Amino acid sequence: MRRFFSKHWYAWAMVAPVVVVLAVLILYPLGRGIYLSFTNTTEANQLSEICTKSITGTQSCEPNPDAAHFVGLDNYLHVLGGQVGEFWPWLAITLIWTVACVVFHYGLGLGLAVLLHRPMRLRNVYRVLLILPWAVPSFVSAFAWRFMFNEQFGLFNGVLKGLGLSPVAWFDNQWTALLTAVVTNVWLGVPFMMVSLLGGLQTIPSELYEAATIDGATPWQRFTNVTLPGLRPVSMTVVLLGTIWTFNMFSVIYLVTGGQPAGQTEILVTGAYRAAFEGIRNYALSATYGVLILSILLVFSVFYRRLLRRQGEVW
Amino acid sequence: MRIRTAGVVAALALSLFAAACGSDPAAPAQTDPKDLKAELTWWDTSDPKNEGPAFQELIAKFNQTYPNVKINYQSVPFGDAQNKFKTAAAAKAGAPDILRAEVAWVPEFASLGYLYALDGSDLTADAGDYIATPLSADKYNGKTYGVPQVTDSLALMYNKKIFADAGISGAPKTWADVKAAAATIKSKTGKDGLFINAGGYFLLPFIYGEGGDLVDPASKKILVNSSADVDGIKIAQDLVNSGAAVKPPANDSYGTMMTLFKEQKVAMIINGPWEVNNIKTAPTFGGLDNLGVAAVPAGSKKAGAPVGGHNYVIWSGVPQEKTAAAIAFVKFMNSATSQAFIADKLGLLPTRKSAYDIASVKSNAIVSAFKPVVDAAVARPWIPEGGQFFGPLDAMATEVLVQGKDPKASLDAVANKYKTEVVPSYSAS
Amino acid sequence: MTAPVLAAPPATTPVSASTAPPAVRRRSRAASVALHATLVLACVVALFPIVWVVLSSFKPGVWVNSSDLSLVKEPTLANYRYVLTQTRFPTWMLNSVVVAAATTVIGVILAATTGYALSRFNFPGRRSLLLVFLVTQMFPVAVLIVPIYVIMARLGLINTLASLVLAYLTIAVPFCAWMLKGFFDTVPTSLDEAAGMDGCGPFTTFWRVILPLARPGIAVTAFFNFLTAWGEVAYASAFIQTSNRFTLAYGMQQFVPRYNPQWEYLTASAVLVTIPAAVVFFFAQRHLVSGLTAGATKG
Repeated sequence: MRRFFSKHWYAWAMVAPVVVVLAVLILYPLGRGIYLSFTNTTEANQLSEICTKSITGTQSCEPNPDAAHFVGLDNYLHVLGGQVGEFWPWLAITLIWTVACVVFHYGLGLGLAVLLHRPMRLRNVYRVLLILPWAVPSFVSAFAWRFMFNEQFGLFNGVLKGLGLSPVAWFDNQWTALLTAVVTNVWLGVPFMMVSLLGGLQTIPSELYEAATIDGATPWQRFTNVTLPGLRPVSMTVVLLGTIWTFNMFSVIYLVTGGQPAGQTEILVTGAYRAAFEGIRNYALSATYGVLILSILLVFSVFYRRLLRRQGEVW
Repeated sequence: MRIRTAGVVAALALSLFAAACGSDPAAPAQTDPKDLKAELTWWDTSDPKNEGPAFQELIAKFNQTYPNVKINYQSVPFGDAQNKFKTAAAAKAGAPDILRAEVAWVPEFASLGYLYALDGSDLTADAGDYIATPLSADKYNGKTYGVPQVTDSLALMYNKKIFADAGISGAPKTWADVKAAAATIKSKTGKDGLFINAGGYFLLPFIYGEGGDLVDPASKKILVNSSADVDGIKIAQDLVNSGAAVKPPANDSYGTMMTLFKEQKVAMIINGPWEVNNIKTAPTFGGLDNLGVAAVPAGSKKAGAPVGGHNYVIWSGVPQEKTAAAIAFVKFMNSATSQAFIADKLGLLPTRKSAYDIASVKSNAIVSAFKPVVDAAVARPWIPEGGQFFGPLDAMATEVLVQGKDPKASLDAVANKYKTEVVPSYSAS
Repeated sequence: MTAPVLAAPPATTPVSASTAPPAVRRRSRAASVALHATLVLACVVALFPIVWVVLSSFKPGVWVNSSDLSLVKEPTLANYRYVLTQTRFPTWMLNSVVVAAATTVIGVILAATTGYALSRFNFPGRRSLLLVFLVTQMFPVAVLIVPIYVIMARLGLINTLASLVLAYLTIAVPFCAWMLKGFFDTVPTSLDEAAGMDGCGPFTTFWRVILPLARPGIAVTAFFNFLTAWGEVAYASAFIQTSNRFTLAYGMQQFVPRYNPQWEYLTASAVLVTIPAAVVFFFAQRHLVSGLTAGATKG
């Protein structure tokens, strides 16, 4: 037993601070959230008695008529059954949003990385300029893009009007509104993808390219047979991370569209936020959403890992 | 004026004396304001640039009488304050001592036990001086939880110059008049007639105009999709479809409304006195002389606009020793003189009847213009869920005005949301 | 970008592989023009919002929020003057610097030690810890705000900068530890063994031998932690109650309330806020490419 401890104590010592902080600040609320989702706790009924204090010094307390209690799976049934909130529309929008963003993030990131991987003049200048969007605080960018899409005063409609075309009411239609958010998020996320994939490109040995060229491969064949497989480790990781981050990307949707028009661009996290914070806070309901979001992402990760393992990646 | 001020100060001192000598266990036995020592935090939700400075001037005046009560003034954004206060009050840490609470927040906070009931204290001693409707917003379950600071309502604000150019003499009295006036304005000046903000609150005049309402708390019925409400919303939609009103954008509709009005591109808007200072300082508008204020146009039944406003409330977590200072602070800030000062600087409407007798208030053009509007304002249901009505209503406004959907269908969806999420114990109409 | 000198690393993906791009025949003139044109276009797309923000910051408020779309109109420093003198911007800047510095330093130390432990030691709980790191990124922050506020209140940390540092660590450290683990995986264990034979304990090995080799990964971690702390709004708006403790992000939020946003002050403060971030960024960007790669390669 002592050998067991002496073998591992320094490992545990190294990870201890992180484990403690995460346990207190994330795992405990997470666990409590899971418990809450099986009750009907709201702000109003979480206390067993409501006390009214009078400023003259007296206080009258009475027991809470409908104190929070265990409701089993009711919250989940109501949410998934569509009686409370709009889970399925939000999920659909979230999936479309995530797929669109990740596809463009990866595609543009890869394209730019491939272009930057060639010898040329000003290569470093281009690289710095292209990653600059990453340095701007994301909520500033969100506000800037929202204003640029403003129907009356925005830059884009101004340019359209200047070209003689009619201005677009970006936020009036569900799909153009979602487009504004996707454009913003892609702008924000491409630098990270580009940098990661550029690094991945740099780990592919040039001998492989030379060998392919000698074998008479066209540039496209070189790309599909050398570049893409060589990038697979990096790609798998950034696509997984990108998916999780985009799925939960609260600030872009909240700040750029605000769920407009009429809540038709809400994604699951913004919908959960509104359930949690607008009006009498429904802690149980927002915890329910949180658990559902977590479950969806966990299931996705499990399938993703299986897919990777089948393709021979050890992950 | 000076006599009245002295009278008010004397009344203040007298009431403090009376409170000190009364059987009130909370107030410390002292009569000299200089002896009152405390440090209080006040969260002010007013606009930090347009309105905040005036309130800070009032605090300076307060400190002339109470030099040992330190006021920690915090300007908290209106959109955040409700949530911040609830989070802090629930955790019993970080909440302010005094809060400027919007009318819809007071019943909610009171029902959660976050506010002191003020009955029996100095603050409710002169309750008769308050105008009835604003004070009614502070009452919950028979107790009073705040005192009203300012009251407001929606009015028809118009550009006098555009009206003159179009040859329109007086403000339109009904929605039909508005439609006609908009057509005249368009043909004679090329400017747009009306801008309706795509928000639930701003559509209430249309609903009230047909005699409708959102809910009836007395009979516990949901009325938002009744025929009167549907008729009202149809009028609003018609104004947009016919071109009399600018089609609002789905996002930043309010900001667009104010910018267009300040740039004199639209002749009429429906808004409240909180924007007066903003319009006054806009270089493109032409000053307050160009601003016309009239009652909201009437529907087929009446002209009705919702009552709004802000109140002073005291957090129930304030320790007993500090409550005397808190009461003194609120009493000073909400005295008739203070209210007159705010009316003078910002054009916000006082809530005390005695304030309207003060000369500076009587001669204030904006206040005089808004007073009849506020007198005729329709009280809202002061229930804890009151603030939650507007989320679904905002979505309805966007669907109807911006996307042109059928009002009855949209209102039915709102009623359904009310039944399932906001007031489940009410019955559908 | 000098790669660490390694002795024959057969199994791991070589970080020291030739970082030069594959040799290509001399590009034709047309292809060269096309290449540069595409990149210039990409740069324009990347930069024009930033340029727009900068230009707007020099316009008087009346013209920023108006239908007038000129690039420059009545240029003025009034917005900057207002932000720097009439608001508590300098205080916010100081608070943000403190929070960002603390988050970066502590975050780098925690992520590095944890990543190293995960990479080198096969201890019980290793697999679960990796899973926990992934899972903590999946739970939406919005739902966590209220419970974390209550915990902070119990710890007496409300309205302190320490609460923000703690919260930001929970956001940044899991990802960075995960990434650094992958990075350390590419550093061969032969170095550890050599150090062990020289008499170094595990901590010394880590601190003296391995960590200096991880500079690119550390740079990325530092950059990531800094950006998280610099631009975060949700926790800042929840935990901070008095204006003398505001961070930059929360202070700036006040310029854009739901109604009547003051774009002129937001853009001016945005420029002032991005400059330090860009400075940190220029120092870190040399390492960003290699740092992210090696970490991502092994996941």
